Amino acid sequence: MDQEQLMKKIVEEVVKEMMAGGSAPDTGRPQADGPEGKVTASNYPLAEKLSDRIFSQTGKRFDELELKALLDGQISAEDMRISPETLEMQAQVAESVDRAALAENMRRAAELINVPDARVLEIYNALRPYRSTKQELLDISNELESKYRCTICSKFVREAAEVYEQRGRLKAG
Amino acid sequence: MRSKRFEVLENRPINQDGFVKEWPEVGLISMENPGDPKPGIKIENGVVTELDGKKRADFDMIDTFIADYAINLDNAEEAMRLDSLEMARRIVDINVARKDVLKMTLSMTPAKLTDVVSQMSVLEIMMGMTKMRSRLRPSNQAHATNLRDNPVLLAADSAEAASRGFDEIETTVGVARYAPFNAISILVGSQVGRRGALTQCAVEEATELLMGMRGLTSYAETVSVYGTEPVFIDGDDTPWSKAFLASGYASRGLKMRFTSGTGSEVQMGYAEGKSMLYLEARCLFITKGAGVQGTQNGSISCIGVPAGVPSGIRAVAAENLISMLLDLESTTGSDQSFTHSDLRRVARTLMQFVPGTDFICSGYSSVPNYDNMFAGSNWDSDDFDDWLVLQRDLKLEGGLRPVTEEEIVAVRNKAARAIQAVFKELGLTEITDEEVEAATYAHGSKDMPLRNVIEDLKSVEDFMKRGVTGADIVKALSATGFTDVAESIFTLLKSRMAGDYLHTAAIFDKDFHVVSAVNTPNNYTGPKTGYQMSDERWNQIKDIPRAVRPEDF
Amino acid sequence: MAIDAKELRNIIESVLNENHLLDPEPPVTDHESPVMELRETGVADQGKSPDEVVIGIAPAFGSAQTKTIIGIPHSDVLKEMIAGIEEEGLKCRIVKNYRTSDVGFIAHDAAKLSGSGVGVGIQSKGTTVIHQKDLEPLTNLELFPQAPLIDIETYRAIGRNAAKYAKGEATEPVAVRNDQMARPKYQAIAALLHIKETQHIDAPKKMQALTVSFR
Repeated sequence: MDQEQLMKKIVEEVVKEMMAGGSAPDTGRPQADGPEGKVTASNYPLAEKLSDRIFSQTGKRFDELELKALLDGQISAEDMRISPETLEMQAQVAESVDRAALAENMRRAAELINVPDARVLEIYNALRPYRSTKQELLDISNELESKYRCTICSKFVREAAEVYEQRGRLKAG
Repeated sequence: MRSKRFEVLENRPINQDGFVKEWPEVGLISMENPGDPKPGIKIENGVVTELDGKKRADFDMIDTFIADYAINLDNAEEAMRLDSLEMARRIVDINVARKDVLKMTLSMTPAKLTDVVSQMSVLEIMMGMTKMRSRLRPSNQAHATNLRDNPVLLAADSAEAASRGFDEIETTVGVARYAPFNAISILVGSQVGRRGALTQCAVEEATELLMGMRGLTSYAETVSVYGTEPVFIDGDDTPWSKAFLASGYASRGLKMRFTSGTGSEVQMGYAEGKSMLYLEARCLFITKGAGVQGTQNGSISCIGVPAGVPSGIRAVAAENLISMLLDLESTTGSDQSFTHSDLRRVARTLMQFVPGTDFICSGYSSVPNYDNMFAGSNWDSDDFDDWLVLQRDLKLEGGLRPVTEEEIVAVRNKAARAIQAVFKELGLTEITDEEVEAATYAHGSKDMPLRNVIEDLKSVEDFMKRGVTGADIVKALSATGFTDVAESIFTLLKSRMAGDYLHTAAIFDKDFHVVSAVNTPNNYTGPKTGYQMSDERWNQIKDIPRAVRPEDF
Repeated sequence: MAIDAKELRNIIESVLNENHLLDPEPPVTDHESPVMELRETGVADQGKSPDEVVIGIAPAFGSAQTKTIIGIPHSDVLKEMIAGIEEEGLKCRIVKNYRTSDVGFIAHDAAKLSGSGVGVGIQSKGTTVIHQKDLEPLTNLELFPQAPLIDIETYRAIGRNAAKYAKGEATEPVAVRNDQMARPKYQAIAALLHIKETQHIDAPKKMQALTVSFR
């Protein structure tokens, strides 16, 4: 394993730990089936088999969300958003069926949950060809890291800045 | 004097098609271009330093992305040493399990996989698909569009499509600004037709994501990737921007797949002297590397290009197989008109229809082709009965079910009324009773009264400015008595929170149980294994309304 | 990229000619196409006047290629589009884009240069886009993707609509056309024409202002 991969591994572990110790209420969760309590394909679909472990970003429990609550104004669209913890569980499911790249995408996605919609769209557009100077991309990378704790995404954007520079795809100026 | 026989031949539909001779130097060749690179990989300290004959210092963006993200390096040297012919044989050998094939193919390079499938005949490619497709049960996707972006008709058409059995429904626009109306029309219509059907609206990438985030669509597909760097740039993206976009979708719990296809690079003017198939293999590796669960490929909108050159339709089947060899959800084209000949369009589809793929057509036009805003599909609503008979003739799963006129009229009417109610409740432009009636019985947009386009477009703008979401549509449906449709859309929104349908080849059944390659993986290992049609399903397929009963005579 | 475009063109044409695919639709019979002279006058300026529409033409338009995929002369295309813009009381500037052959970017570049923020992009094969500077490059105000279906009247209507958008008027889009057999018939030749156009890209060259005269 080279240094970069090792780094990535460590970062992933840290992020996972941070997420596991995150803000979702403790409800005496049932143990998942995999080694070290990891979720696997045997727990899938989570909506049916681990529904009591699924919480929205705002702490609402999946199996308690009902149409009536939405109509009565007790919940909003915000209360129906996927949380980093759930995406981490889905990433583990993907790994249990040998889909490492899909799991990696889910972990990048888990980081982006707390980035507002409009900012996600802006960053996407900034990553398009000739849209950003190298410094602008590096600033985004720093913002992702410091403001939203998006470690993997931050590194990903920094890497894009390097590649765009080499290939002449940065904004002039 | 002219031969009368030749005169007749000259006027046959096939001779309206465009054909061109190969020209390898510009990449106008489907596969096996002498200019394609020789397969190879060199790994030093866990880093790919040479890929398919190119040194790292000479990598373009795509090479770098593939080398760093798309290949499982643990097995790579062993996999690359394996003879391509031997690998091709393992793919068709029922004694070699799908997972053992993947162990090798996931560690190969784009040139290597291109070389492997180039060893195979069309029949062998089809055998490969049967085994390598990711989900157990094949499925099908519909297009629902019309020339005038008429929302009432879109709702009725998508309701019919879902009711007939399509698990996914895709729309696009004639006028780009109509997109949000099209999206909500098929969202509402689809849930009237069949609870749990998924919908998408194919438009510019950022707009598509925005609509997804707002809950106006339930998945995305038109996220295009290309096999050469200049074409990728003309597509206004890079592998990094596209991979970031993919994560953006997953962060909102939304399913998505990438799109690519043979011929796009030569069509866009920069094929760099490579075969269409090799360039498509690069697209699929980008898809894999981005961690996207699946692909729509099979030339798609460029089908006229491979179809114009020798072995082009074989290349299209081969590119579908490569997607499966990379363990991606396969959504296999057959979605765009490419020929004037009915014979030829059927022959082209058999390559996917017979083995079965995750979605056989990535857009069977559920509307008449004159209304198909993807510039026409290979199959349209006038072919519904032909498709049903093909399923029945061959005892094949093609995703559709026989229906009665009464039930289709009923769902179309309900969908038209539901979208009428939503428009009214949300303060959008008026949908009249006359339009509801017309959409219920229409063949296509020619049967619809004209709408005031200027008013519609103003209303769309206002709709987007107000930030209306899927939750608002749920409320509008509920307030107007369409509680069951409200419940379905609510459940679709809620399912994002669990993320189960982010997995490979996921769809929902009518009870919102997710069906994917995780809980129902393809397990084909020869005759009487893999997807076996249930008696219940076979009885449904057999029972076309026009079949007479022997006892009646 | 070194491609012998001429040889390629000859081969494809010879094949397609057998199928009468290159026969231009008989242009309108009572219509005489003007002779057009396009002259480059240097780097195009950033427009300031809000009453202008900028038309961006692709690298081979009116030079290496002179007619659309169905044989409409480029002189007619421009003349009609300019007439459409002038009918609405606006002015028109024409620029040539050398950095890209992609119609979305050509239109977007033209829009960015336009004092009104509205521009039109045309490829040599005839594909046309109406664009607005604040939109993403690959979206549009109106897109006419099927070049074989664009006739002379449509080019005039495109000019009219571009001018209406520039004036900020609510505008009914030009009626969309669709022919599912355009692809089987024309896609191979469209690829050829686009390859040819792409060969005339001169990436470092800035957009050039053009004067146009018709005789």
